[in-house]
Amino acid sequence: MTAPKSFKYATTTLLLACLPLLLSTPAKAYGYADPGTGAFLYQAFYAAFLGGTFYFRKFLDRVWKRRR
Amino acid sequence: MRTGEAAEERTLSPQSFRDPAGTLFEDGERILRRVNPAHAAGLEAFLATQTAARAIERGALVRSQRLGDHLYEHERIRFPSYPCEWPPEMLHAAGQLTLDLACSALEEGYGIKDATPYNVLFRGSRPVFVDVLSFEPRDPRDPTWLAYGQFTRTFLLPLLANRQTRMPLASIFAAQRDGLEPEAVYHTIGPLRRLLPPYLNLVSIPTWLSGRETDFTYRPKLAASASQARFILHRILRGCARQLRSLEPARRVSKWSGYLPAERAAAVSYTPAQFAQKEQIVRDCLAIARPGEVLDAGANQGHFSFLAAEAGASVVAVDSDETCAGAIWREASRRSLNVLPLVVDLARPTPAMGWRNRECASFLARARHGFDLVMMLAVLHHILVTERIPLEELFALAEELTRGYLLIEFVGSDDPCFKRIVRGRGALYSHLTRERFEAAASERFDRVRSARIDGMERWIYLYRRRRAIS
Repeated sequence: MTAPKSFKYATTTLLLACLPLLLSTPAKAYGYADPGTGAFLYQAFYAAFLGGTFYFRKFLDRVWKRRR
Repeated sequence: MRTGEAAEERTLSPQSFRDPAGTLFEDGERILRRVNPAHAAGLEAFLATQTAARAIERGALVRSQRLGDHLYEHERIRFPSYPCEWPPEMLHAAGQLTLDLACSALEEGYGIKDATPYNVLFRGSRPVFVDVLSFEPRDPRDPTWLAYGQFTRTFLLPLLANRQTRMPLASIFAAQRDGLEPEAVYHTIGPLRRLLPPYLNLVSIPTWLSGRETDFTYRPKLAASASQARFILHRILRGCARQLRSLEPARRVSKWSGYLPAERAAAVSYTPAQFAQKEQIVRDCLAIARPGEVLDAGANQGHFSFLAAEAGASVVAVDSDETCAGAIWREASRRSLNVLPLVVDLARPTPAMGWRNRECASFLARARHGFDLVMMLAVLHHILVTERIPLEELFALAEELTRGYLLIEFVGSDDPCFKRIVRGRGALYSHLTRERFEAAASERFDRVRSARIDGMERWIYLYRRRRAIS
């Protein structure tokens, strides 16, 4: 069945997409404004989720195009 | 050019010495910025972007000219103002401009490193982003907006608190430079509300996560690709814009907001004919004074500020009521009038603030001899009675503010409005006669003209200051 396969693929993609963001990579720190603690962590989780939807959206686009 | 230590001593912006990228200072009438050599190329490149060019063209970004040796000159915004003097409508407009520029800069590879209302000044009612060093080339794979927390603290949470509890922005920004912490708001809301938007994501989740940081938390994290990072940042900025839209200040009614607009004047104290006569007297005085710069003290809803602006003046309209200042901003924006509304109580004007009291100049320091005409219409009795300020002190203040004319309305003690605010303490004010008023004025001013409003205990005087400004 297409739907469960799509769902599994999407979930896996989402998790894999979050990984690079959850794994630390040193880079230049910009800015001098206090990033806060709670707001910074909230943004980090939100960014990880968005990073997943980035691939998820590409996948959906592909499914949409295939069906058309 | 004189750019010595004395000039650099007088820094203008709260970011001026906090930002390692450069320092802003004043040299006479000129606004200069010395840029750290390591950031000069980045600034030069940003000023060459489409984002900067378009924003400068529409007046949303301050004009900047490179003078050489990492030194830039910026256009001077005539009357600098601070968030503690803004009605929520202006804070909202400043937030919108910050996000618009951040979104546009993102497309060209630049990030905005701080998101504070101190980056914005107002030219009339229009916001202008003045801190060009806020823009930096960003790492293409960096998906984090470090200024997100600051944007929440200085724009979203103050607007939320103002909307829900009517907490004046003055009490937030006069007390705290960096706005409201989520934890501070969390303790003011009930358990159910903590679970509902916008409190859940702006207040509760950041509060629950607060204190859970580790060494790992602040280590920068990179996305898998530049397009993924841009996608994430774009969504974060869009989310902030959506939150900001949801916090757009609603029109309000306050004790003073229906006090003196023309359509309600009759219900308050004037008949339509009397109000029209007052309007004509003010127009005539404006024609005599022909002011370039006007201060409307006690502007209420700005009716006379708009008259002055229509006569070609640049107007600063101050009122202690946030709702009135907000209404002026809406109307001035709608009609594109050169009116800057500020929440300032003349009896307790904005003090000097910040480090060594030098980051933000006091209102009086900024306004001193700054106006060709100072208007004090229907405000005298409030200052004399409600604030208990002596008449002579009032004229001393007027002389300090104007470099030319004073347009002032005398309200006699038999006036119904005067009686209403005296509240039975008539004996205290029996000495406040017109003769006493004229004698106090004559110490510092020469009378140009005066006129009585027919059938009222009100006279309007146009005075000219006697002493030259030293």
